[in-house]
Amino acid sequence: MTISGAPGGADARSLWGDAARRLRRDKAAVACFAVVVLYALIAVVCPFVWSDWADSYDYDNINRPPSLTHPMGTDEFGRSVLQKTLLGASTSMTVGFMANIIAVPLGIVLGAVAGYYGGRLDDLIVWFYTTVASIPGLIRLIAIKFAFAETVLFANTPFEMDLGHGMSGVYIALGMMSWVGTCRLVRAEVMKIRELDYVLAARAVGTPSIVILFRHVVPNVLHIGIINFSLGFVGAISAEVMLSYLGLGVGTGIPSWGAMIDAAKMDLVVGRWWEITSAVAATFLIVLAWNIVGDRLRDALDPRLRTA
Amino acid sequence: MSENAAILTVRGLQTHFFTMDGVVKAVDGVSFAVGRRQTFALVGESGCGKSVTALSIMRLVPHPPGRIVAGEVLLDGTSLLALRERQMRQVRGAKVSMIFQEPMTSLNPVYTVGNQIVEAIRLHQRLPGRRARDQAVAVLSQVGIPDPAQRYKEYPHQLSGGMRQRAMIAMALSCDPDLLIADEPTTALDVTIEAQILDLLKRLKAERGLTIMLITHDLAVVAETADVVAVMYASKLVELADVQALFQRPLHPYTQGLFRSLPRLGQKKRRLETIPGSVPNPLAFPAGCKFHPRCLIGAGLERCQTAEPPLRLLQPNHYAACWECPGYAEAPAGDPAAAPIPYHPPEQNEPAD
Repeated sequence: MTISGAPGGADARSLWGDAARRLRRDKAAVACFAVVVLYALIAVVCPFVWSDWADSYDYDNINRPPSLTHPMGTDEFGRSVLQKTLLGASTSMTVGFMANIIAVPLGIVLGAVAGYYGGRLDDLIVWFYTTVASIPGLIRLIAIKFAFAETVLFANTPFEMDLGHGMSGVYIALGMMSWVGTCRLVRAEVMKIRELDYVLAARAVGTPSIVILFRHVVPNVLHIGIINFSLGFVGAISAEVMLSYLGLGVGTGIPSWGAMIDAAKMDLVVGRWWEITSAVAATFLIVLAWNIVGDRLRDALDPRLRTA
Repeated sequence: MSENAAILTVRGLQTHFFTMDGVVKAVDGVSFAVGRRQTFALVGESGCGKSVTALSIMRLVPHPPGRIVAGEVLLDGTSLLALRERQMRQVRGAKVSMIFQEPMTSLNPVYTVGNQIVEAIRLHQRLPGRRARDQAVAVLSQVGIPDPAQRYKEYPHQLSGGMRQRAMIAMALSCDPDLLIADEPTTALDVTIEAQILDLLKRLKAERGLTIMLITHDLAVVAETADVVAVMYASKLVELADVQALFQRPLHPYTQGLFRSLPRLGQKKRRLETIPGSVPNPLAFPAGCKFHPRCLIGAGLERCQTAEPPLRLLQPNHYAACWECPGYAEAPAGDPAAAPIPYHPPEQNEPAD
């Protein structure tokens, strides 16, 4: 029995319940979220379906325009561009996901520690991120990628990561540079929260500060992490495309929209438009969808933007 | 245990805030003793240092900029200011707990009420989950929350202000502390709820043998609940007595002014009386007695302007700090921290130990 509870049950009024309800009512958000889910499914399923795509050379059918057998034409080795594009989703989604799995928790932890403890620790972390942020993004990314050139992590284990040539180098580099925004926001929010009475109340019953930080403070800034995760995803996807275009992205043999655009820049002159069109369309759709999802997520989760 | 044993002794406490504009002496040499099972009220207007006194006892003064620069706090014979932070954490919650003014913000919105109480319990007692849960439900029921098993599962936003304050009290009492510091526990509540919460505190005091240090600016709350009252003005105690003595014959002009400014039933007045002037700036307290610029007696007197009067024992168990109080010149200094002021309400007899 609920006497003072809100109509509609217990979780209808919690931050997350409320946000979920708002998002469900928002048709554009639902549609875009569906697009994101679709991309994720493609990213998971396609590599299994076309696992031998990279070696599916067909020299009799190179650079063919779209046809019934190859709806988006073929590339310079006669491989299906449609398959290549769908496989590229896997690269993009992996990079977007992994970069943010690194960046967002890093930003939250550093921001929370800086904001909560203040003093020297805060000075150090602020100094660190302002230094990182003062280098232009692309140059920072290129620098990290070059530093990775010959690095192989966990060599000769199932977790081997070739930072110089594989996908891992791209997402680790992206993750290492995109935590700054989250860190800043979280730090500011934590500085506000640490002054609240419930933090004092927790201290008054003897809670250690590290427990207060991670049990009482961080859960109240998680929405910032989620918003930045979705917005960061877009950034990571675009950055991967950009890096691959510059030839610094994933190595050859890994389907990537950036590499496709890069490869097609000469094709366009001779009228081969299908490869670049597929890659741009695929990039455009996911970036748009993620942007709208992230935007609506922020509207739903940030109390300051709320109306009524 | 002797009736007169102090559970809490504060001696010469000085807490200063080191700000950009200078040193704010928020608490400047405060001494008192609180007797076991007493309700000790610390009264004063906003900014006089009463909350900082409480936070100093808990060692929760925000640092920086605040720091306890001198003094001694004894809780049950343990010197709290000498403890390491780890040891102090063991004291908080288990020996002394605190509740705050704003029940709306004192509970974390992302956890259920029960969750937060269980956390407090498990910080101090090694209990399996089920037993901690049972204990939390029991303490919720003790603070008069109906249907505690259901409330245990609810989030703070689902409770009313009064219920939240009860839940806060439950959390503070969940580890059975000896001393509860209540910092304006009813200020944010409406009058009917205020009366309920004060009754609850009284009942808990009787049932659990709790000592309560009540911080308030509301003399009606003091009259209702306190045994001993300390009046604080501009970082110092100006008067200390049992509640009856203080209400019947306030000695310090500030206390007298407070009583004069209360509305009275059956008295027709167009305006309430006030104490002239306003609270002095803590960065630049007036020389001499800090109250003299606002004082009806001492405003023009040279001694009040130049020398600050210390607390003196004017009557048995009644301290005041005012040059112009009758008998002040001959009165002994006394030590308000030496022993608590004994007081038993005339109508109800508390069970003796």
